[in-house]
Amino acid sequence: MGREVLACENLCVGHGGRAIMSDVSFSLEHGRILAVVGPSGCGKSTLMRALSGLDEPVSGRSTLLGQDLAVATAGEREDTLRRLGFLFQGSALFSSLTLRENVELPIREFLSPPRRELRQLAEYKLALVGLSDAMDKLPSEISGGMAKRAALARALALDPEVLFLDEPGAGLDPVTASRMDELILRVREAFGTTIVMVSHEVPSILRTADYCVYLDTDTGRMGAYGPPRDLLTSDAHPRARAFFSQTHRT
Amino acid sequence: MSQPSPSPPRARTEVADDGSVILWVGGAWAAGTPLPEVAFRADRVCVRTDGLGLFDSSLPAWLHAHLRTVRSVDLADLPERLKALIRMAENVALTGTPDEGPGLLENIGSWGVESGSSWGRALEHIGHTALGFLRALVGRARVNWSELTLQMQTAGVDALPIVALLGFLTGLIMAYVGLIQLRQVGATVYVANLVALAMAREMGALMTGVIACGRTSTAFASQLGSMNVSQETDALRALGINPVEFLALPRILAVTLMVPVLSVFATFVGVFGGMLVACAGELSVEQYVTQAILAVSWRSFMAGFVKSIAFGFIAAWAGCYRGSVAKRSALGVGEAATSAAVLGITLIVIADAVFAVLFNLYGV
Repeated sequence: MGREVLACENLCVGHGGRAIMSDVSFSLEHGRILAVVGPSGCGKSTLMRALSGLDEPVSGRSTLLGQDLAVATAGEREDTLRRLGFLFQGSALFSSLTLRENVELPIREFLSPPRRELRQLAEYKLALVGLSDAMDKLPSEISGGMAKRAALARALALDPEVLFLDEPGAGLDPVTASRMDELILRVREAFGTTIVMVSHEVPSILRTADYCVYLDTDTGRMGAYGPPRDLLTSDAHPRARAFFSQTHRT
Repeated sequence: MSQPSPSPPRARTEVADDGSVILWVGGAWAAGTPLPEVAFRADRVCVRTDGLGLFDSSLPAWLHAHLRTVRSVDLADLPERLKALIRMAENVALTGTPDEGPGLLENIGSWGVESGSSWGRALEHIGHTALGFLRALVGRARVNWSELTLQMQTAGVDALPIVALLGFLTGLIMAYVGLIQLRQVGATVYVANLVALAMAREMGALMTGVIACGRTSTAFASQLGSMNVSQETDALRALGINPVEFLALPRILAVTLMVPVLSVFATFVGVFGGMLVACAGELSVEQYVTQAILAVSWRSFMAGFVKSIAFGFIAAWAGCYRGSVAKRSALGVGEAATSAAVLGITLIVIADAVFAVLFNLYGV
């Protein structure tokens, strides 16, 4: 730990040039888990897309894995994207492919290993998330929780240095969501992956995150940054504390 | 991912004094580089490193594949990170027997059951549609009537160009072929009879029905299939609204009303196409029109008209049915669209054959 993986300065994100959230500044070290939190519609997913380079920010500067995304060429952006893993909110598994083929796809496209190795790698990644018995099922044949785990296996396919998780616990029952949290922690422990996750599940954030960015929808600016337990208890950020304590109670 | 070092990945085995196998791994391991091959059978394996360099997931994946069936594995000598990567897969993976998939008999049985239930669902949908029409007649069905005019425009008015083009070309081709044959017996004047009767009684309805399958059935299957995916049909059910009545009835009614109109239009355009060919050679316009009117009796015209009503119903029903039973995925929607066109065209051809037999029996 110690190496800076992700940093942004006065970042402003939005859609079509229209700002939703501004003044976002923080930095994140290697191997840490950052949670982006805030009320619905505050721009959490938009911020994550901008941080990962999937979308361009309205203004401001951010660096990811030492690459300034604002000045990066298309090729440099692509290289950076290959070192990232994404878990989308709706899992985004390719419905015409089995779970094994979903995981094999990025490995085959980027590493082109021999058939046997490709199989080994895909089976291993699916085993990591406990889906050894469902490898040959289609996404339509599995539950929402299994789809999330399969999507995580695909996100881990290329041993990403940074994982971006958009609402990993959304739509899951508390037990399955808690297992997902455990899985995230184990991925960090085993792979040493830096993880950025969007969430508004406070119990999950308290279990997993080292740091937390709170987006204040009233001001349209970043409201607070720090360890989640500090935000829950500190008087320095009353809006963040109110959000955490209200959500925690419910 | 770790950077690969020049040293290639390597692995070897040796048998220990107690009969267990020692698996030595070394070198740098990176996915995409050729990995070593070893074969062993043992109940107990001890994994040790010999000059192990940088490694990525390919090493734990390789070990996971090779050690899956081993009863006892000793990982004590491995680096902590490698141990964590192997154990993580084992902790969550080895909790059940692998699914070997169904056998041949099971596959045949499943196919039989699936085919049977598929026909059952189709009959059920026809029943719901018929009941829906009856309920709509007495004003008890919840039908989205605002869809009716929109669908009539989409399935009818918007289809005019393609129906005109295909009808014109069909009449033109029939006249060409007819002229070649009729010229041999000196009866070229009957080319008007041939084209007019064929278009009015058979081709107008059949061709329009097939076009409706290609254009409208697939569109209905995609629309209703997508609504299945986004759970809109579930939402209707939850509101106490029958999706067949609300979604399918206006669509089926719209197409059943519009296909006969299109069929008559195609007939006239086809006869016109035939006229261009016939009148370019041996016949005058007057001769052609007179012969065409004489050839098509009111019964023949009605035979084609009745068939087109049936074909319109079949095309629309096939689309709505396949859409309503579509699987909840992008693949399922695509399959529904394809199978709607296939089902619609197949049923239309079968229905045409049945009509031919019935009309023959009753002298129509």
